[in-house]
Amino acid sequence: MPESPSPTPAAPAPEDPARRDFLEQALRLAGGAFVFFCGGTAAEAVSGAAGEAYNWDEHRYAYLIDTEKCIGCGSCVRACRAENDVPDGFFRTWIERYVVGPEGSHVDSPAGGLEGFPPVQTAFTPTKSFFVPKICNHCKETPCIQVCPVGASYRTRDGVVLVDGQRCIGCGYCVQACPYGSRFLSPRTHTAEKCTWCYHRITKGLRPACVEVCPTGTRQFGDMKRDDDPVRRQIERERVAILQPHLLTEPQCFYLHLDKEVR
Amino acid sequence: MEHARHVFRAALVLVVAVAAVMLGRGLLVPRSYGIYGPYRADNVGEQMAVREPRHAGPAACAACHEKQATARTAGGHRTVSCEICHAPLSAHVRAGAVVARMPVDPSVALCARCHRRIAGRPEKFPQVVLEQHVEGALESGVCLGCHDPHSPKP
Repeated sequence: MPESPSPTPAAPAPEDPARRDFLEQALRLAGGAFVFFCGGTAAEAVSGAAGEAYNWDEHRYAYLIDTEKCIGCGSCVRACRAENDVPDGFFRTWIERYVVGPEGSHVDSPAGGLEGFPPVQTAFTPTKSFFVPKICNHCKETPCIQVCPVGASYRTRDGVVLVDGQRCIGCGYCVQACPYGSRFLSPRTHTAEKCTWCYHRITKGLRPACVEVCPTGTRQFGDMKRDDDPVRRQIERERVAILQPHLLTEPQCFYLHLDKEVR
Repeated sequence: MEHARHVFRAALVLVVAVAAVMLGRGLLVPRSYGIYGPYRADNVGEQMAVREPRHAGPAACAACHEKQATARTAGGHRTVSCEICHAPLSAHVRAGAVVARMPVDPSVALCARCHRRIAGRPEKFPQVVLEQHVEGALESGVCLGCHDPHSPKP
């Protein structure tokens, strides 16, 4: 509908200079307050965030697990515990054992593989058995970050999913949202905890503790932004699999020789 | 001026309300929130410095324990990090000074974690049925009677 002019042509409004002054001043005041509250905080914080020597835009990390090499010794689980003070009964990484036959399959992970594995008896005759190390997949499309109501979970620019323990309110949504079971609520802090790919190590050029101690080369850690990186080369050239691809979470943990039984 | 007082009052209320919201926001929202995304940017630096790395790798051990390091790199345990069987370096050395003796675990359980024959291990990996491999009791130190842990022969 076209604009309808008022029936009587408006008489030039008697301008009130005081009102105009007031409005102008109020606007200035509000603008000043806005700049004061918003501008002051942002400028200060940028400097301290990502450290001086380390530039997170130069890295994008990836993890590669060759299930054919794993011997189930649990060194990685113990190293993770020692490196990260993981509370008893909880795991940032763990090992699962699959014993599979035509008539059935058996999966176990006694204490996450912390002290290795005992011999196992199954009701069926197994035809294959293997270990599968598990860890946070550091997904690109994370369900865990999406459900966090307070912005405590986030993904760094170098590709690591982290939890800010100061922000976390311990609601546990992320623990339920993770389809890989990689998160838990710490009984000490009552906040969500998870694998950080040992962020305090990798940002210093070291490997995560689990990769550092793996005696068989099952676990490998690489940088997808480095041209000569062996892990990058394998992910690009070999046939790699991911866990639960139907969920479209885009995991950044890749598996070689993954069996169909593994979820 | 007299007839504009009600506008003045309403505007004052508005300004106070806006200032209160901004002050509240300034106090409640962390300073670095939102710089890189919907999270506290300072946490990235905090995670980097959450603690000193505790595992240092075999090269660090070799700096003092040359004999064991040479034996290890020559033998069957060349891919086995010292810290797997002993402990993370930080349990022994911190800031260049020895803080405690490194634990030495001679138990069968330690060797068995890798070398006990169980379902799941790759066939070609060296492994034994403990009860058949060892004559007598599976007591602590029995493996070390025949095998040098730093450079074991099959």
